[in-house]
Amino acid sequence: MQRKIVEFTNILRKSGVRVSVGESLDAFSALDSLDLDERTLFRDALRTTMIKRAEDIPTYDQLFDLYWSGFYDNLRGAFDEMGGDLSGQGIDLDQLMQQIKDMLESMDDGEVNLSDLAQALLTADLSRLEQMIRDAAENAGASNIENMLQIGFFSRRVQEQLGAEGAAQELRDLAEQMRQAGMSEADVQALMDVAGQLQEVLRKVVRNYMERELQKQNFDYIEKFRRESLLEKSFYNLSEEEVKQMREVVTRLAQRIKNVLSIRRRRLKRGKLDIHKTLRRNMSHGGIPFELTFKQRKKDRPKLVILCDVSSSVANVSRFMLQFVYSLQEAFTKIRAFVFVAELGEVTPIFKDCEITDAIEQALNGGDVINPYTRSNFGFAFHHFWQNHLAAIDRRTTVLILGDARNNYNDARAWCLRDIHNKAKNVVWLNPESPGAWGFGDSVMHRYLPYTDVAEECRNLRQLSKIVDRLLL
Amino acid sequence: MFDSVEKIQTELAAKQYICSKNIATVVYLAEKLMKPVLVEGPAGVGKTDLAKVVAAATGRELIRLQCYEGLDEAKALYEWEYSKQLLYTQILKEKFTEIMQGATSLRDAADRVGASDSVFFSEKFIVPRPLMKAITNERPTLLLIDEVDKSDPEFEAFLLEVLSDFQVSVPEIGTIEAREIPLVFLTSNDAREMTDALKRRCLHLFIDFPDEELEVRILDAKIPGIDKRLAEEVVRVVQQLRQLDLKKSPSISETLDWARALTVMNASELDQELVNDTLNVVLKYEGDIKKAQGELGRLIQKKTAEKPTEEAPVAEEKAVEPAAKKAILH
Repeated sequence: MQRKIVEFTNILRKSGVRVSVGESLDAFSALDSLDLDERTLFRDALRTTMIKRAEDIPTYDQLFDLYWSGFYDNLRGAFDEMGGDLSGQGIDLDQLMQQIKDMLESMDDGEVNLSDLAQALLTADLSRLEQMIRDAAENAGASNIENMLQIGFFSRRVQEQLGAEGAAQELRDLAEQMRQAGMSEADVQALMDVAGQLQEVLRKVVRNYMERELQKQNFDYIEKFRRESLLEKSFYNLSEEEVKQMREVVTRLAQRIKNVLSIRRRRLKRGKLDIHKTLRRNMSHGGIPFELTFKQRKKDRPKLVILCDVSSSVANVSRFMLQFVYSLQEAFTKIRAFVFVAELGEVTPIFKDCEITDAIEQALNGGDVINPYTRSNFGFAFHHFWQNHLAAIDRRTTVLILGDARNNYNDARAWCLRDIHNKAKNVVWLNPESPGAWGFGDSVMHRYLPYTDVAEECRNLRQLSKIVDRLLL
Repeated sequence: MFDSVEKIQTELAAKQYICSKNIATVVYLAEKLMKPVLVEGPAGVGKTDLAKVVAAATGRELIRLQCYEGLDEAKALYEWEYSKQLLYTQILKEKFTEIMQGATSLRDAADRVGASDSVFFSEKFIVPRPLMKAITNERPTLLLIDEVDKSDPEFEAFLLEVLSDFQVSVPEIGTIEAREIPLVFLTSNDAREMTDALKRRCLHLFIDFPDEELEVRILDAKIPGIDKRLAEEVVRVVQQLRQLDLKKSPSISETLDWARALTVMNASELDQELVNDTLNVVLKYEGDIKKAQGELGRLIQKKTAEKPTEEAPVAEEKAVEPAAKKAILH
């Protein structure tokens, strides 16, 4: 048991769940103080001592199933199914077994010698069978399995270790002996069928065992791979499903940034001694300064104006940027969001009225304020902003522009951006294209570059979160 | 003291706290191993209540420390009562002059005062705060540190020290050790993730929304005389509401409020109009209510449509079961 728990701990660790030595010791003492007659009790005890984050609970449950209980259920399922099949053929197993038992009793003990495996199979002693398969798997080195292609190989080895072939032969011999002892022909045939079925079931469950073993060994790999690759994956080629998953990842990242932010803010809190407040506060002590008060330095929260290109090529960047920014709303004093393709319109009100995901979808479709089905024209959009919304920018405003600056050979009108730049605290440009492509073809990025404080490639979530983080610093 | 997990469930149920086996197991282990429990979960699932009920069931005195941003040692552990010290020095002025009489030098005078200054730094002038109270309490104690996620990281670090040793050192007096180690419950709403160091020292309990059956039992226990069918319907609607993508999912306390409201209104079953009128008890945001109202027709219709068909599959399942059981080799 001890060894199995240690092994289970290792598998948890491999899957990215942090379990300290102290925690696994706790698990042992927890198990000592419980009567372990129930599986759920066991599971809860291990969980409460080893799993300390709510996010890890699903992983734990899955692994627990894989490691402790799932296989037994599968075994029982396979036997149930076989029973169902047989009764479909008109074979009543209970009766058959009873008959064999009776006949065995009337025969000499020495004549029929069944191996452990054959006995376990015949009596459907599932827990014994489970233990046998586990032992055989261990002898066959099953935990070394690395990929799908090895399942067949290892299954065969486990079966060899089990002596599956021999057991099947024994059962067939048993049927023969029964015939000689005077069993009816139909029943003998039925027993032969059962023997065949049992062999098949055994083959299936061993294979299933190996599949589980593989999953167990690779659990972390699959999970980690999924998470990592989403962070790195380019926004250009996301499937609809991935967009959904991505949304969750963004929410998590935003939460994390929020946490860091509150710590950062707090560090700034303590300033110089505030003599006025200290005196006021200590009036009750006769003006003797027992309790000190400090001045608090305040850090300006940035104002944000976002200009999002929502043409299809950059829609995803805009989507996640908007989600990010609005998830972190409280970190900014004010956010105004504009979308453009050629025309430019403000979508701030949509975010006030609707829920964030709905609002984003609406905004990406132009939000009734612009026509999204035109060709990108950055110059026109900036000019429009310059004409109508320049007042939105003051020296505390950060302007965030998302777009690939592919202007379809229209006039760039960079002077609009220059004026914006002059008024704003910062102009940040995020471009989903890599810097190598800026200024080639119809890209006018090089024209805008002089008027940006930061211009960066932003092609995946990792880059995006880094930029958001820096924006807030 | 509890001697089994089932006992806890029944004892807590007697105090009208219906809990799942998982919760009972953790409480049992906490008592056995004398380890603090970190309880996490959405708001309103009964995290704080759990601590209160366990205190009542074990006969421990409940001492509660509510955490908030800016909570510091002085508010949590102990504080010197400056004003009282000041007052005493004023009153004892004459005594001082008495002591000082005959002092030959400044040094002599200072020594004489110094000899008795421990008077002013004794337990008499300490205001004990919850942590100190829990440690010095002579009766068995349950210390509830509520919403620990709201406190600052520095406070958390300080808490670690207290939780691992159960002793407090006051520089002027010395170390005060716990007479009896208190049972500690910490609750968190996950506003901030707690450090690994703290988590490592605690057992972890995640309380999620209960399943349908458990929630009906909770309603039953908490609201005496509630119509069984009404309870079931309320729970079913709430469970479905939780499936929606809401800003704030209704928790058990909201279910209870709603059921109470409905019993006061003498309702015996739910219809669309009634639900529409009382939805603001369950949902706390305008947007959520609007969204739910949109889905409501579907929720309630589905329920009535399900009802007749629901009986049939259950009966069928029962019929199949014995056959399947038989089929297993025994």
